Amino acid sequence: MTDTERKNEINRRQFLGNMLKTACSVGLVGLGLGAYSKRASSLPASYIRPPGALPEEEFLGTCIRCGLCVRDCPYDILFLGEVGDQVPTGTPYFVARTGPCEMCEEIPCVVACPTNALDHELKDIEDSRMGLAVLIDQENCIAFHGLRCEVCFNVCPIRNRAITLDMQHNTRSGKHALFIPVVHSDACTGCGLCERACILEEAAIKVFPTHLAKGELGKHYRLGWEEKEKAGGALVTPDTEHRYNLPEGVRYELQGEGLIIEEGAQQTPFSANPLDTLNSGFMDK
Amino acid sequence: MNICSLIVHTKPTHGAEVSDRLQRFQGVEVHGGTEADKLIVTIEDEGESISPVSDTMNALRDVEGVVSTVLVYHYGGEESMEEMNREIN
Amino acid sequence: MKLTRREFIKSNAVAAAASVAGVTLPLSNATAADADDGIRWDKAACRYCGTGCSVLMGVKDGKVVASQGDPDAPVNKGLNCIKGYFLPKILYGEDRLTKPLLRKTNGKYDKNGKFEAVSWDEAFKTMAEKWIAARKAKGPKGVGMFGSGQWTVWEGYAAQKLLKAGFRSNSLEPNARHCMASAVGAFMRAFGIDEPMGCYDDLEHADVFVLWGANMAEMHPILWSRLTDTRLTKPGCEVHVLSTFEHRCYELADNGMVFEPQTDLAILNYIANYIIQNKAYNKAFIDKHVNFTKTPTDIGYGLRDNDPREKAAKNRAKGKLTKISFEEYAKSVEPYTLEYTAKLSKVPKEKLLRLAKAYADPKKKVASYWTMGFNQHTRGVWVNGLCYNVHLLMGKISEPGNSPFSLTGQPSACGTAREVGTFTHRLPADLVTKKDAHCKFAEKTWKLPAGTIPRANGKTDGADQSDISGKPMGPTLIHAVAMHRALNDGKMNTFWVMCNNNMQAAANMNDESYPGWRNPDNFITVSDPYPTVSAQAADLILPTAMWIEKEGAYGNAERRTQFWRQQVGAPGEAKSDVWQVMEFSKYVKVKDVWPEDLIAKMPEYADKTLYDVLYANGQVNKFPVEQVTDSRGNKYANDESADFGFYVQKGLFEEYRLFNSVDGIPKKGHEMADFDAYHKVRGMRWPVIDGKETLWRFREGYDPHVAKGEGVKFYGKPDGKANIITAPYEPAAEPPDKEYDLWLCTGRVLEHWHSGSMTRRVPELYRAVPDAVVYMHPKDAKKRRLRNGALAKLTSRRGEIVCKVDTKGRNKCPEGLVFVPWFDAGRLVNKLTLDQTDPLSKETDYKKCGVKITRA
Repeated sequence: MTDTERKNEINRRQFLGNMLKTACSVGLVGLGLGAYSKRASSLPASYIRPPGALPEEEFLGTCIRCGLCVRDCPYDILFLGEVGDQVPTGTPYFVARTGPCEMCEEIPCVVACPTNALDHELKDIEDSRMGLAVLIDQENCIAFHGLRCEVCFNVCPIRNRAITLDMQHNTRSGKHALFIPVVHSDACTGCGLCERACILEEAAIKVFPTHLAKGELGKHYRLGWEEKEKAGGALVTPDTEHRYNLPEGVRYELQGEGLIIEEGAQQTPFSANPLDTLNSGFMDK
Repeated sequence: MNICSLIVHTKPTHGAEVSDRLQRFQGVEVHGGTEADKLIVTIEDEGESISPVSDTMNALRDVEGVVSTVLVYHYGGEESMEEMNREIN
Repeated sequence: MKLTRREFIKSNAVAAAASVAGVTLPLSNATAADADDGIRWDKAACRYCGTGCSVLMGVKDGKVVASQGDPDAPVNKGLNCIKGYFLPKILYGEDRLTKPLLRKTNGKYDKNGKFEAVSWDEAFKTMAEKWIAARKAKGPKGVGMFGSGQWTVWEGYAAQKLLKAGFRSNSLEPNARHCMASAVGAFMRAFGIDEPMGCYDDLEHADVFVLWGANMAEMHPILWSRLTDTRLTKPGCEVHVLSTFEHRCYELADNGMVFEPQTDLAILNYIANYIIQNKAYNKAFIDKHVNFTKTPTDIGYGLRDNDPREKAAKNRAKGKLTKISFEEYAKSVEPYTLEYTAKLSKVPKEKLLRLAKAYADPKKKVASYWTMGFNQHTRGVWVNGLCYNVHLLMGKISEPGNSPFSLTGQPSACGTAREVGTFTHRLPADLVTKKDAHCKFAEKTWKLPAGTIPRANGKTDGADQSDISGKPMGPTLIHAVAMHRALNDGKMNTFWVMCNNNMQAAANMNDESYPGWRNPDNFITVSDPYPTVSAQAADLILPTAMWIEKEGAYGNAERRTQFWRQQVGAPGEAKSDVWQVMEFSKYVKVKDVWPEDLIAKMPEYADKTLYDVLYANGQVNKFPVEQVTDSRGNKYANDESADFGFYVQKGLFEEYRLFNSVDGIPKKGHEMADFDAYHKVRGMRWPVIDGKETLWRFREGYDPHVAKGEGVKFYGKPDGKANIITAPYEPAAEPPDKEYDLWLCTGRVLEHWHSGSMTRRVPELYRAVPDAVVYMHPKDAKKRRLRNGALAKLTSRRGEIVCKVDTKGRNKCPEGLVFVPWFDAGRLVNKLTLDQTDPLSKETDYKKCGVKITRA
């Protein structure tokens, strides 16, 4: 956050304070404040905890609101919840769009935490799971239209693992490719560098707390190809060899391409030599 | 940049005339609600100073025909250069 | 529909209050009126790279308010890269220059004064005084102009006339010297005519793509998406990528190779050797269409005369070709065995073999693409040529999919710098100042006396050309890097930099560029829309209209010429480059710069200004001002026409066409359509003959210059045959040693254009990539106790910079090499680079010098 931005932030808070006083003065605290707090700051999904934060319930019980993590953050991205904020007063958070976690190798915020609310077991910043990036708007992300952006991919510190590019054929233009960013939860730390860098007016990729961002596969269902890879082979006895009725020059690969017509094989029912056809017997079946 | 919206309740059937009075204030705009005697009003200012909006709010309370005012929405923050630039697009 | 932020917030506020109150509002109160109403859309060629995407610009109330990729453009089909997405914003940076600024103290020009706003009249008066004095005192090299491959076609053409015919000086160079000169040199040597034979349609027709020192994924983003699509959809298609570090193209590579800098020379010779050893070459093709030649070796590195490396060179800057036999050629590549080449290049044998096999397979169509890796190379002309050798041996050239293709970096490096010939040694349409006949043709076309243009050797008809000083002119050529040296040495005293940022761009800033510009004897003028590093180092800054603030034309890498109309006006007093060149010429009289014997040939010119004889010559000014209107009846301004009283762009273009599109010209093959035709199309690929474009040159059926029955004809050469030119591997000028133990390579990133003077003013692009970093191998970082993100000091023999270390980012360097982008005015990497050039093309090598890195 730059100095100007921080100043704006302060101005905004001062102003909110004044507004409350004004509302009191017109004698309508109840309705005014209620409506206000719903509208102006109902943004809990964009408040992300620092690296190593324990699960929310536990975190709130362990964090003593000392502010040392905020003090030790070299990039000054962390804030403490204030009265009127949606986060409990005094607890640390950051907002990815304006100030994402810069992924310090030393993780000074965790080191500073006196209570383990930020878990000291976290030694490698790449293991942290602050949240999860989600490419939330595929309609407006310009990569889905074939524009060459890929800024989120390029700024991602877990290069080519947390975000990869899926290259696809652009059916509209017919001769270009699409480079679709795909987020992988097994590597994404939720640092939010992608959200900050997104060049749209409203980011198409956003970091959310993991529980909001992640779906869950039905507990009964497994992805067959992944299970096979894990097991190192088919889970069920392999088939005996298949054999097929095939014309000459044609093969069939069960696990491969399927039907393979070898070069030089007959592509039509007619022999290249017309005499073969002529001598084969008229309408002979 | 500060923008607030309010509901201004007027004396029954006085909606239209109160609306005219409110519009005379600088930065005040009435967007509708005259028939229901509940005016939808915005107040905005442009400068760094924050007092004009709250002053205006206080002043609206004293306008003839106004029964009560309710603050519903506030946006505060500077219109940074970045935002100015965005307007180009 | 777009709302401003304020409107958006307000409509939210109103909606919130209305919903709480339970009041229904009329629709128009809650949402703003449709902002797309009244937008005028028109086409333009993108401002950035040589790809030449077409964009549509939406203008309302005199401002660009919207943009889109042009869905009907064959190059990009509506797509843009991230820079193109933000095109309108480059016009509206907050710090646009709007007034001429001159360094002054107490109201008078002072080299050490502070910049003060002056009138255009004062600016040009001051400039003219300095230019006339420098021209008289120091001869044709006393003045110099440094233009750009981002100039529009007519801007380059107007500057060409001002320098070569007006000031009678060959000191005109474009920044394309730093960029495409090696490619040009190789085209001329191999084919006798400039620019690629193929076109972008090769991207759909090739089976094999080979990238040689080209990071297309970032530098030609839309072409890369076409190449990627072919790789994804065409069975059997494969991609080979070669570079000195791993970049984004390796994500698609089937065969990615990282080679030791400079050993691309050896790899290409190995491929030729493989083809010959396996008798895979196309004998019928070589017998009919190819000559074998060799080039002198040990030619130096384009450094200053007193450099020991230059003194040691046996054949410094020599390039004359000698004919050899096929057998001699075969023998010359014999040493480049797989074993030797793998060892030298550090590329595994199996990878080299796979590459060689792809070229040697007669069934596979191969397209080779290269950019700065080949061109910014102390053996750039050689290495370009070695690639042609491989294609010519196989006959894989000049047909769909078989294409050696030199990609251009700039939007009009081809259209302006190369086709108009804004180099010291060139004239329009591949003519050269070395040839008396070419100069005479230009003089006649320009209605000027014979002997006006300085010959390269200072002689016309065998006699010395006289100069205004009374002395003979002597040799007149001076290339870009030599210009900075001449400024430094006080031999050149006035320098005009237009449409580029050469203080940031030129190599060896500390020893050459900066002392040259700040030399008290020199007067430096910079024309730019923004306060760049160059502007900071100038004495006079001229505020410049950008891109669509004027009517323009660019020529892209596939010979496509694209026009656009003036869409909006420039801010304040900013004026286009063509206006500046022509207006300045009014301040110089013919007798100020021409000697008496030349004036005697046309005495009526003596008291005229250069403007009168160059632009108001009855030819350029023959088209009256007209209301520019598109086919839908929309009207467009043309500020230059309004100021000069004739249709400036049309006049300049039509005179330029007298060099390439009429009967009796010295060199055929560059034909173009007339001015009006280009405004009606999304570009045409030259040669354009009878309105028909040429896709593949030199091949019967595709190219109208090849007669029926000839098959293939390289008609740029008198015998219709192309040259295979053998050249060996030779080491780089400044390889790492004990102290400076790392190779430094510089280049670009996707998000920023060149020196960043435009893209760093787009907040979103700045936020995406704010500063340059040094990409290095994690082990190299660890050895120096550096972590990812730590600050490092990079030191070369010439200077130092500090930047952050990146060991995890988009570019993966091998151990022993680091890469730093040059867009960042806050970290000027050209303080480190060496002003070495290819001795033949005079193009700078920015890719190879020694540095050391320590903790900052």
